[in-house]
Amino acid sequence: MKINIAKYYPLIPVYAVYLTMFLVGFFVPGLWQLVALLAFYCALGQSWNIFMGMTGYVDFGYVTFIALGTYGMALGITYFSQFPGLGIAIIFIGLLLALFLSTLSAILEAGIALRLRGAYFAIACIGINEGLRHLIEGAKIWGGSEGMLYWKELTEVFGTETAIQLTTLWADIAVFIIAAMAAFINVYYMRSKIGYALTAIREDEDAAKVMGIDTTKYKTIAFLTSGWLGALVGAMAWGLKLTHVFPADVFVIHYTVECIVIVVLGGIGTLLGPLVGGLIYGLSKYWLAIILPGFQLLIFAPIIICIIIAFPEGVIGVVKRRVKGTRLERYII
Amino acid sequence: MRNGWLMKIASLLFIFGALLALSGGTPTTEVVPEKIVVGHSVCLSGKYAKAGEQAYGGIIAIINWVNDVSGGVKVAGKKLPLEYTYYDCESRKEAVTSLLERLITADKADFVMAPYSSGLTLAGAPVAEKYSVIYMDHGGASDRIFQQGYNYIVQTIGPATLYHAGTLKMIQNVDPTAKTVALAYEDSEFARMTLKGAKEYAEELGFEIVFERTYPAGVTDLTPLLSDLKASNPDIVLGGGHYEDGMLFNRQMADLDINVKALSLIASATLPTFGEALGNLAEGVMGPSHWEYGVTYSTKGAKKVGLDWIGPSQDEFVELFKEALGKEVVPDYHAAEAGAAILSLVLAIEMADSLDSDEVRAALGELEFMSFYGSWDVDDTGLQVGHSMVDMQWQGGERVIVWPTEARIGEVWFPKPDF
Repeated sequence: MKINIAKYYPLIPVYAVYLTMFLVGFFVPGLWQLVALLAFYCALGQSWNIFMGMTGYVDFGYVTFIALGTYGMALGITYFSQFPGLGIAIIFIGLLLALFLSTLSAILEAGIALRLRGAYFAIACIGINEGLRHLIEGAKIWGGSEGMLYWKELTEVFGTETAIQLTTLWADIAVFIIAAMAAFINVYYMRSKIGYALTAIREDEDAAKVMGIDTTKYKTIAFLTSGWLGALVGAMAWGLKLTHVFPADVFVIHYTVECIVIVVLGGIGTLLGPLVGGLIYGLSKYWLAIILPGFQLLIFAPIIICIIIAFPEGVIGVVKRRVKGTRLERYII
Repeated sequence: MRNGWLMKIASLLFIFGALLALSGGTPTTEVVPEKIVVGHSVCLSGKYAKAGEQAYGGIIAIINWVNDVSGGVKVAGKKLPLEYTYYDCESRKEAVTSLLERLITADKADFVMAPYSSGLTLAGAPVAEKYSVIYMDHGGASDRIFQQGYNYIVQTIGPATLYHAGTLKMIQNVDPTAKTVALAYEDSEFARMTLKGAKEYAEELGFEIVFERTYPAGVTDLTPLLSDLKASNPDIVLGGGHYEDGMLFNRQMADLDINVKALSLIASATLPTFGEALGNLAEGVMGPSHWEYGVTYSTKGAKKVGLDWIGPSQDEFVELFKEALGKEVVPDYHAAEAGAAILSLVLAIEMADSLDSDEVRAALGELEFMSFYGSWDVDDTGLQVGHSMVDMQWQGGERVIVWPTEARIGEVWFPKPDF
């Protein structure tokens, strides 16, 4: 089978930006956590874009995946730290648990919400998110509302120095890797049968069905992939990095809204969009918090509105139109 | 042509990289300190904005007192001024780590203050540990933070488990015949910790727990729970979680005519609006607080219990606080505990005669003092063990501090008047 390399050219600018971020963060003192924050936003945007960008379904319950990913990592570290000799394997067990829990949640959501469309779909997703949070709190699962704290377990297994390295460096490197994976999957889907089917669903789901596309199958593929990536981001950026989880802090719809803003800023359904959106969103928030502490949200909102007015299809949406017919076209999708 | 595009992309990447690099710090050079920088990733917006603003005002008030009245912090025979550098974390866990790193590396903060709440305090802890910088916890009440083995977190706010300890002790002093206790708290991390502490302490003091239950956050009807509670016929009811459910708790206890000798609700009964909204129904209802305006801690009181006194008097603090915020607001306990955290830092630096984190951390472990906030002492883990909560009670439409004896301004009404 011949692999068409040219279809992966759009990954070049994406990876170039990630590499630049990584190198700046790694070599400039005091910038690593900022770069990690930006990578978190970019990874979230790119993961969410796989489902929302390609299908047009607005999943308000996306944060459920991130939250369950966090719980997966928390469980992996808390319970498996009791077995000496597992070492770094507990982190990988945490990742597997994150994927497992997000799969269960995706099955639940696919069974209930994916049968619905538009506002009904959005409301069902919110309902599942809130329901899971109350289940954990009410049934006192995994510490209930008291949550889980596991810095102690982490230091017992790895020692303080390695625990610090894991939480302040390796968790962030993992987010970079997840972001790069999400970008690759985005391109792969966009340039394959899956992407075409999803585009057809986005444009007119009934017509797509009539044309013989198994809409449920393709929607589920995109939903699962997007959910898995979200769970991995949660496992690393919240679970491993922050070494605690409280249900009231993770099942928060606000994070889904952030995903929407990031993707809309950059360009819905584009590859570079979530990256650009994540950078604009993260850098503006960071800078405004420094320059105008306490008043940043007053300035931030008009900035977002101005960008949306100037770039109604998102920054990359507009750039894409401009570069049409030029050599850059093949790099910007 | 192709080179042209490549150049453009390379330039864009360069600009982006340069922008990022500008966010970073300048290379470090070892110089004799001219000032002591205290960094803070403060919650000035988001869900903890109110508590964050209070903490901000309390810190500025105390820093101004240290610099203007005390003349600075004495280190190596030299008085150094305190400088406060802060950024708004928007009450978000993601923002805490990057802002904390900036404060430590770019702003060269010698010490950092944690944001409000246990969750946000925990979020920044690994970064503080990485840079070995003392991380003053002024708003994270969870005891479990201090069971994790962090080396640099030091708490000023009293732990959640001690919220109702003072209340129980006071009741035992006033009426040793009151023996049965009902516990009904909100199902939240903070309230459950309070329940756990209250239960343990009550059992230790010989009280009998006749009812123990939690109710979900955002509850709109407590009648079923309170009906069961009534059946257990307790002398004392301890509970609550937040303002709204505290109000509901009080109102529905009155509706069901549940008259007990003492009712104490956390995080609600201490607020002025509680009594204003409930009127007569709030009479005799108590609430624990870390600090309330009106406490009578003084140099004299400190001497009596054998502690050193530091900092402004309560009235001086209130004036400095209003000046710091530029508005007529009375400080609450969030302001007082953040201010007291700075005072502890100042004393520890002077005691260690150094700005080195490990030396100052060791001094903080040794330190015991009293200020307008009350007494201050931490154990080896950094957990606050020296500060006693104050208990206030609604009496004739006024909030009266009734416990501990060194801070009270009135006698407790026991038993409380019937609804």
